[in-house]
Amino acid sequence: MKKIILIIAAFLIVLSCKNDDNNNGGSDNIEKFGTLTLDFSNTIEDKTIDLERGSYTNGSNETYAIAELKYIISNIVLITSTGEEFKYPVADSYFLINEAEESSKEISLTDIPEEEYTKIRFGFGVDQSKYPIESGTANFIPTAEENGMLWAWAAGYKFLKFEGTYNTIGSTTSNDFILHVGSHGANLDNYKEMTINLPSVLSIKEMTTPNVSINADIAKIFDSINTHSLEVKSDVQVDPVNAPIIAENVSTMFSITNVSN
Amino acid sequence: MKFLSYIVIFLFGTACSSEKDDYVPVTLENPKLEFTVPANFPEPSYNVSLNPPTEKGFELGKKLFYEGRLASDGVVSCGFCHIQDFAFTHHTHIVSHGVDGALGTRNAQPLHNMAFMKEFTWDGAAIHLDLQPIIPITAEVEMNESFSSIIKKLEERPEYVKLFSEAFENQKINSENILKALSQFMIMMVSADSKYDKIERNEGSVFTEQEAAGFELFKSKCASCHAGTLFTDQSYRNNGLSVDPQYNDLGRKRVTGLDEDLHKFKVPSLRNIELTFPYMHDGRLKTLNDVLDHYSNGMVDSPTLDPVFKNTDTSLGILMTDLEKEQIIAFLKTLTDDNFVADSRFSEF
Ligand code: HEC
Ligand code: HEC
Repeated sequence: MKKIILIIAAFLIVLSCKNDDNNNGGSDNIEKFGTLTLDFSNTIEDKTIDLERGSYTNGSNETYAIAELKYIISNIVLITSTGEEFKYPVADSYFLINEAEESSKEISLTDIPEEEYTKIRFGFGVDQSKYPIESGTANFIPTAEENGMLWAWAAGYKFLKFEGTYNTIGSTTSNDFILHVGSHGANLDNYKEMTINLPSVLSIKEMTTPNVSINADIAKIFDSINTHSLEVKSDVQVDPVNAPIIAENVSTMFSITNVSN
Repeated sequence: MKFLSYIVIFLFGTACSSEKDDYVPVTLENPKLEFTVPANFPEPSYNVSLNPPTEKGFELGKKLFYEGRLASDGVVSCGFCHIQDFAFTHHTHIVSHGVDGALGTRNAQPLHNMAFMKEFTWDGAAIHLDLQPIIPITAEVEMNESFSSIIKKLEERPEYVKLFSEAFENQKINSENILKALSQFMIMMVSADSKYDKIERNEGSVFTEQEAAGFELFKSKCASCHAGTLFTDQSYRNNGLSVDPQYNDLGRKRVTGLDEDLHKFKVPSLRNIELTFPYMHDGRLKTLNDVLDHYSNGMVDSPTLDPVFKNTDTSLGILMTDLEKEQIIAFLKTLTDDNFVADSRFSEF
């Protein structure tokens, strides 16, 4: 008798620990989990941007070269055709995409419930309005800090750091541009969330390594819903007018180009 | 039979090992601390239930507050600029001094009743108490450090490994827990034991005649901004200080970018004001007399000057006689909380 109890006890202990790993708190134990990789490409006219030699022209006829491009992706959610949502654990859901660092453009997600997903939602920046209710934003500090994504003078993150040089039409002298978008204080919140349909069904399975390719059309930072001309404003840091304009444009720049299961 | 029990114990030990962090059940006692809202205070802005202070969390927060390792030079701790005797200000310095004697541009603010404040610093650059320490820790003119490096330094100290594991369920030394511990320490710093409090709570104290006259004057001339029992409405305003060209501090505009916020600063609480000299965001005024002289005849006009200070006869400021100033100062001194500045729970040693 004792033997059986002990065996059952051991069995229960093992099971109870397994549950700790699923973050969606699914109660049925046969649920299985898989992984997913999100590949980000930062492109202009369908070509990966070139930090060394690239020269581009925006809708305001200004030619520009990009020296630095970094942005924060957060709060990833996968959605099924019936609208069920799998929310990636918020505390592990902050990522810095740095054009200069290949590895940063590949986000690996684990422990995703086996399911067929048709949509993805993610955030641009850090949703500070939720702090500290959905904790985890603070543990992104070291990464943000190493990448210069914290304002030095305020307790907040830069969501986008986009820097380089530009020339206006006919001019040969190039000037620097600095576009930093983030939120500061309680009033200026430039956090955005995008829900995007997947071009084909993403099926997460225990042993497979599916992949979703996300394209960021960088030209849209200047020209999308709004037009931002560098001649009008080349230095956007704490800017209640231009930062929201750029953040709105950023919210339109992402598309899903491919799903491979 | 014994053998089987060992297997069970063994399984228990390994069953969880697939998890990223080796979880060891906390067996040590870590009792919660009582966070009491004084009877004459409003509800706190800080959501205490999300970071309830515990004995160990508070102890850790205090240790971090006085820890020079949080600064690049190993010396400048939070407590270096926020000194308890002066209600946690850096009173000997007009503007704060940081690592390598680097000068800041602002006067260190007192730390008391933080749990009741909505935004932090003179311009509201931090919207949550938990996030506020990011500024001093990373600012070059303050502690000039980085979180990654602090985490490394703390991980090397067994006393911190122990304290973090006792204070937090996930036992980790990470930025979130560092910030939460500092907040646990700071929210417990409630100053509500001044003569004024005892009168407000009917605990037997009474104002002198001079103080009572000062209180009446204060209510009519000052309390529109220095409002309520916290002595601040927590808004940002321009009280007519001239712009110091050395700093050209934009005030609230630095945070919002809005012209209408130029040279506005957070209305400070006046609790413990007798101890927190020098005064104003840049510490330009040395005494309370200087402050009242500023309000009566030192004001400079500007587009954002608070309308309260614009009189119908086009003069600026608050009309006060010397006697009235003395009475207001006598009243302000009833806001001094000697028990708070002597409270050994908050002292370094
Ligand atoms: C070099 C001096 C210095 C150091 C070191 C320092 N502070 Fe401060 N503190 C200041 C100054 C100056 C301000 C006002 C800042 C401003 O308005 O920009 C301030 C403001 C604050 C405030 C806001 C108070 C309010 O009423 O809004 C808090 C909270 C605070 N400090 C906590 C800390 C903590 C915690 C640490 C250690 C991690 C720390 N400080 C280290 C000088 C310092
Ligand atoms: C229109 C709003 C307003 C009114 C009215 C007002 N104040 Fe102030 N007070 C402020 C602001 C804003 C500051 C901070 C200004 C700065 O540092 O730039 C301040 C600062 C102070 C300080 C310095 C506090 C510190 O920690 O450095 C004292 C003392 C003070 N006020 C006392 C008074 C008294 C006494 C009266 C009435 C005679 C008064 N105030 C009326 C808005 C006001």
